[in-house]
Amino acid sequence: MHGLRILGAAAVLLFLVAAFTPLANVLNIRMAGTARLEPSDAIVVMGRGGADGDGVLTNRSLRRLLRGVSLYREGLAPILVLSGTKVETRSRLELARGLGVPETAILTTHEGLTTKQEAAELSQLLQPLGRRRILLVADPIDMPRARSLVERAGFVVHPAPTAASGPSGPESRLGLVRDIAIELTALGYYRLTGAL
Amino acid sequence: MELLVIVGLVALTSVGAYIVGTRILALERVTLRLALGEALECLGLTVVFLIVNLAAGLTSIFGFRALTGRFVSVYWLNDVSLAVLSLLQALVFHRWWRPTK
Repeated sequence: MHGLRILGAAAVLLFLVAAFTPLANVLNIRMAGTARLEPSDAIVVMGRGGADGDGVLTNRSLRRLLRGVSLYREGLAPILVLSGTKVETRSRLELARGLGVPETAILTTHEGLTTKQEAAELSQLLQPLGRRRILLVADPIDMPRARSLVERAGFVVHPAPTAASGPSGPESRLGLVRDIAIELTALGYYRLTGAL
Repeated sequence: MELLVIVGLVALTSVGAYIVGTRILALERVTLRLALGEALECLGLTVVFLIVNLAAGLTSIFGFRALTGRFVSVYWLNDVSLAVLSLLQALVFHRWWRPTK
């Protein structure tokens, strides 16, 4: 019982720190690393969360796509590569077209259900075209794992994280802390299984 | 600012509840400490249930992948409802384990 009280007190403390301090934002910035927005062979928008049943992209997936389109419009690469699940890439493709990216400048991967699969798909898609230097668009917290996997697949990666400062409200910060915990678990799992 | 609003609001209603408890419901002040302890126990139990639920979920997903070769995302477990249901489990279990004295 004493142990349970300590665990409960720790949970309350973690909740307060996560919701009401900038800890999540600091971790977010640290995990993002330094953005290197340099001219590249392609802009790669990694999948995240897919789309809802009605085909509408999740918040994170949409943010990434908008970042990718913005980089394309800045002329940092001649092609935009959309990765993720089939539904996600289809929705992103339609949206990117609607935002003015020419269809000839968009490539989509077949289907990547995990970050590891996405890296393999990107390798199959881009390396035969000789496109090795890529601007990698991912959330700040996903960048370390995504970057390592894509580099392992033979690419030179220029990180282009989505907004790194993170959320400002308590609820959003709690969500971010949860996502950071998940990402760190995934990073540990990939290291344990030798994928990284 | 949000911090001040939310924490201030909760502090204010906590003081209100304390006044209602002591003056209207005639609750003893000393039992408040015991109640806090039990609340922490419930939260501790919630953490235990959450960990067990996540472990069971991960085992099931990886088992399903290995047995069927089909992909099921571990992100299915990334849902706030799991935490809420863990809290419910903890509350029921706690009342069962330590009924009102």
